[in-house]
Amino acid sequence: MSGTDLSLLLLPSLIILLLIFLKLITRPHPTKIPIKSRHVFITGGSSGIGLALARQAAAEGARVTILARDINKLEQAKASIRASTGTEVDIVCADVLDFNAVKTAVESAGVIDVLVCNHGVFFAYEVENMEMDMIENIIGVNLIGSFNMVKAALAGMKKRTDRRPVSIAFMSSQLGQVGIYGYSAYSASKFALRGFAEALQQEVIADDIHVSLIFPPETDTPALAEENKRRPPLTNIILGSSGSMKADEVAKKALNGIKSGSFFVHCNFEGFFMSIMTAGLSPQRSYLMAFVEVVSVGVLRIVALCIQWTWYRSIEKYHAKSKRA
Amino acid sequence: MADINLSFLTLCILPILLLLFLKLIIRPHPVTIPIKSRHVFITGGSSGIGLALARQAAAEGARVTILARNPNKLEEAKASIRLSTGIDVTTVSADVCDFDAVKTAVESVDPIDVLVCNQGVFVAYELEKQEIKEVREMIDVNLVGSFNLVKAVLPGMKSRSDRKPVSIAFMSSQAGQVGIYGYTAYSASKFGLRGLAEALQQEVIADDIHVSLIFPPDTDTPGFAEENKKKPRLTSIIAGSSGAMQADEVAKKTLNGIKSGSFIVPCNFEGFLLAIATAGLSPQRSYLMAFVEVVSAGILRIAGLCFQWTWYGSIEKWHAQKKYLDICCSSTQESCLMD
Repeated sequence: MSGTDLSLLLLPSLIILLLIFLKLITRPHPTKIPIKSRHVFITGGSSGIGLALARQAAAEGARVTILARDINKLEQAKASIRASTGTEVDIVCADVLDFNAVKTAVESAGVIDVLVCNHGVFFAYEVENMEMDMIENIIGVNLIGSFNMVKAALAGMKKRTDRRPVSIAFMSSQLGQVGIYGYSAYSASKFALRGFAEALQQEVIADDIHVSLIFPPETDTPALAEENKRRPPLTNIILGSSGSMKADEVAKKALNGIKSGSFFVHCNFEGFFMSIMTAGLSPQRSYLMAFVEVVSVGVLRIVALCIQWTWYRSIEKYHAKSKRA
Repeated sequence: MADINLSFLTLCILPILLLLFLKLIIRPHPVTIPIKSRHVFITGGSSGIGLALARQAAAEGARVTILARNPNKLEEAKASIRLSTGIDVTTVSADVCDFDAVKTAVESVDPIDVLVCNQGVFVAYELEKQEIKEVREMIDVNLVGSFNLVKAVLPGMKSRSDRKPVSIAFMSSQAGQVGIYGYTAYSASKFGLRGLAEALQQEVIADDIHVSLIFPPDTDTPGFAEENKKKPRLTSIIAGSSGAMQADEVAKKTLNGIKSGSFIVPCNFEGFLLAIATAGLSPQRSYLMAFVEVVSAGILRIAGLCFQWTWYGSIEKWHAQKKYLDICCSSTQESCLMD
């Protein structure tokens, strides 16, 4: 009997010990980043997720600036936000690829409290069918554009007079957690954002600057509609099973994640599991989430291998069919 | 007694069941890629890891081509390989950032069986101090350059007459498994290679082309010596957690990994642990390795969190010391040395 009693006690004790241990070692420390009355700067803010973010941040009382290339779309976005929230947002016109233009835009906007690098382009094409200039454009805009933005805003953030915690957030993608047929360039650019973010967090933590990576699934936006038209069939087959989300839902999750200073911000249920699977050596600020990661990452690795099994089978089947045809 | 027997039985059977299950589901299937008498094309092949790779591949009987920008360094490398192995390698001069030059270079040589995208530049610097030009260069050479190479080589690989398995390998880095202070651009470029590789493998598996990512630690090369001169102190402290290796050792692990068609190729013990910790959604071709990943991922996540705890601790200490010294200096108005 005592043997059973002992083992009954062992499991809860281990769990509590693990929780305590994780609470002690998780770094950086948890934080909260208020956005009310603070300056939120959103790139790619004239449409899609960026526009939804701007709208919600404005509705929560933030001072919002949206950056994009097209002045007309910016004006439309501004009008749309005014119509739905009664709030004015600032608009700034620049191409994220142009560092000097970005620097000017950032300086004209004033000190930034929450920088959301949300701009992005995406196309699905097998690498052999994609022109190099499209590849360069995807990596340029999504990755180098983000470097331009952060470099332009960083000095101001570090010297800010209001010493409350601030945030730099990157809009990644579930395709920045796993590379999929047709997305070599896009996945490359989004995986790269993670390397950037992990290193950046170590460089800026001393200034109470907090980095977040948001991983939405396919999101219902004008850009997605464009991309859908030209997707390789195999990409559709492989992605077919994943859920998509509305831009407003993604924006809500993104803002919550930024406000809670989370390093990884998932947007739906699948995303939650993918975050655990791909936790790797990313920092985890919540000891509860760390506990979930530790106890489930092993089982989730099995799930990940099963997912790859279905994808490679789809690829096999597709090619077998094409060969017969 | 019966209880103990039952739990013992379960403990033995579960792993066996798991191994069987993994053996059935891992994709892509395992493969072996011979390099003897086959054409191995190595970029950044005139020095460092690339030169060591060229030397070893040549010694194993491969036909080797090395690509680099500087014709003099290429000649020196060729002479050095001839001296140590008696074998002549082909040299080709091009800048990986120039797609047309790369395409010409690739077309000027025989069809390629093993492409090793090994070229790379690295400069560790805090982003706020680093020139954007330097950031762009790292991403262009390390990442876009690899796209240029893949795009140039792929059509030939897909239409090859010898239908034995072939390989596209990317030289990543442990900085491509975890981002570290001072490595925003370099880690970005190396993480990018993984996104490329995961997607690419799905696109080329039907043509029996196999993708490998190699993750060396700091490696003793001319490039590393250069980088060390200007590395931020904190980077050295943090990166120092992983041991350094010789170029020859890295080359050996690289070739073995490529020949066994492994998707992720670690080069030392720490690298092995890192590979498991960062397995994520990468494909795993060995069911034994998959088993190891599944059973140790949890513990390694704890280890990973401990590493971050030490790194952030170092960062905190460093900044506290700096603040203290700043205050001291300003109050005594003497110049202080902060090394």
